[in-house]
Amino acid sequence: MPTAASADYRSSVRKPDDFDAFWDDVLRQASAIPLEAEVIPDPLRTSEDVEVFQVFYSSIEHVRVAAWYCRPVRRAERAPAVMLLPGYQMDPPIPKEWARKGYIALSVAPRGKLRSNRQFNPGYPNLLTYNIVDRHTYAYRGFYVDTWRGIDFLLSRPEVEPTRLGVTGSSQGGGLTITTAAMRREVRAAAAGAPYLCGFMDAVELTHTYPYEEVNDYLRLHPESRPEVEKTVAYFDGINFADRISCPIIVNIGLQDNVCPPETGYVLFDRIGAKDKHLYPYDGHGHDAGRFRHSAIVDRFFAHHLLGREMSG
Amino acid sequence: MDQTAEAFREYWQETLDALARCPACPEIDVLPLRSTAFATLYGVRLTSLGPYRLFGYLSIPTGTGPFPAIYYPPKYQSVLEIIPQGTANLIRSRYITFALAGRGQRNADTPYAAMFPGLLTEGIDSAESYIFRGIVADSVRGLQFLLTRRELDTAGVVVMGNDLALVTAALTAGATHVVAAPALFYKAAELAPRTQAYPLEEINDYVRMFPRRAEAVRRTLAYYDLRAFAPRITAATLLMAGAPGTLLDALTLRPLVTALQGPLMVHDSEQSLYKDGLYTEQWMAAQCGITDVQGILPEHWRESRDREGHRLG
Repeated sequence: MPTAASADYRSSVRKPDDFDAFWDDVLRQASAIPLEAEVIPDPLRTSEDVEVFQVFYSSIEHVRVAAWYCRPVRRAERAPAVMLLPGYQMDPPIPKEWARKGYIALSVAPRGKLRSNRQFNPGYPNLLTYNIVDRHTYAYRGFYVDTWRGIDFLLSRPEVEPTRLGVTGSSQGGGLTITTAAMRREVRAAAAGAPYLCGFMDAVELTHTYPYEEVNDYLRLHPESRPEVEKTVAYFDGINFADRISCPIIVNIGLQDNVCPPETGYVLFDRIGAKDKHLYPYDGHGHDAGRFRHSAIVDRFFAHHLLGREMSG
Repeated sequence: MDQTAEAFREYWQETLDALARCPACPEIDVLPLRSTAFATLYGVRLTSLGPYRLFGYLSIPTGTGPFPAIYYPPKYQSVLEIIPQGTANLIRSRYITFALAGRGQRNADTPYAAMFPGLLTEGIDSAESYIFRGIVADSVRGLQFLLTRRELDTAGVVVMGNDLALVTAALTAGATHVVAAPALFYKAAELAPRTQAYPLEEINDYVRMFPRRAEAVRRTLAYYDLRAFAPRITAATLLMAGAPGTLLDALTLRPLVTALQGPLMVHDSEQSLYKDGLYTEQWMAAQCGITDVQGILPEHWRESRDREGHRLG
């Protein structure tokens, strides 16, 4: 077994002085865009126990964002909701299993993902470095907002209990869980796995695997752009969002993670502002971050915070 | 599997004959952004059954060769990766790699763009029109193209992927090794009702929506069942089985195991992408005569966490 990653890794991540101002401005621009949500029943995917809908809503720059929306057929008048955030390469799944656990569930496809790529399609690989020298047009500026707008969608639904919203995902979904929990106070519980988009410039030194390798590819071809790249990603680094998180949160990492270096997971966890936070490091696990064992912990966590129910474990 | 062996043979022979009538007409362009000191990356366009134009990423190591190769046939996702996420980029210094987008995947999504979920049941009520007839042809065409490369060591051609890896090795010569994790076509009609997880849930959705087509679906899937292909596969095979007790564990896969004709290793998943991935990398390296596998593993999988290899990049 390789030596497990060190928990006392010293990160190079520094928050820009105008970090909050930058994002306040982005949010102000986004708030001017009407949500214009469409909720379209999907009879092919609907089953006896779960209703499935295709959802579309508008985000910043008027990009239409797709999502899958599932709700249990048998539910209370208002039910807790969980937003699922996707990995870098994955196609956002239909979150039927969450509906079967009693939650209303939204699985968002931010811009560039399948069904959300008509107006913005940087390709994969390429999303990570698309306009990476300009924070005002960098791909993740809109991508992040698309996920935060998912919370607006949930809050617009009469069947959603607005005081019981959760957010979760792994890899890129873990990174987006961090940024969403940080920027949307309505989130009451968050579970982030193997968080990506945390410690960008540390990660590209610690590992040479895709997707982070996209940054190394870019810098090899454009070495003169390194200062601009470093400046841009600092505004998007999950580690710089983490001190804003106040809701209960759990984070799981794999100590042999070959995609999102565990060193960055430790740094992220250290920076999280919430008092109620817990880290689950899994030795002997890679980018799965111990998912097989950890999924029951996530279930208990959300059941406690959103359903008000204790599960045995 | 209710079609006769003769009907199965005719179906695939007609497919291969039709493919043979479509010249590949490859176009190959260097992609400087993804090229390094140790490997050059090319974008490849070539024609498959239809005719349909495909896209692939071909990486050739620096040096005189010949080199063993890893062929990644189309995956069940919209995204085409250069090498699988989490694979050390340095693997490209020792192997030729070729990753192909089948029809419908990104970069091969004009005129047909596949949906995920959705692809698995596209045209499934007729074996003649089923989308996977074309995708299998695409996969075969990809291997045929790879075999034309003068840099190739023909004694080390690994086909690595899901069911398509086995199907491709069965239908065309040239694969010396196969690494396969069945997910789509092993006893699909029988196993789908035992799961609610995608992609097999697509079959459940389809049959629920169109119950009168259930028999036609079963007939089509019979042409794709891995048990029917297995007697044709003589390549050395690493079969990645699910963890014991899961849907596609070694016990369930036993009929496939006994039908495969080449040297066989079955690996039970350890529910760890690190452990399963490391096993696979080591198996491939040993089969291809690569003795210094540590140097082409991701940093967090190495016994010694040195960064020596990255000076190559």
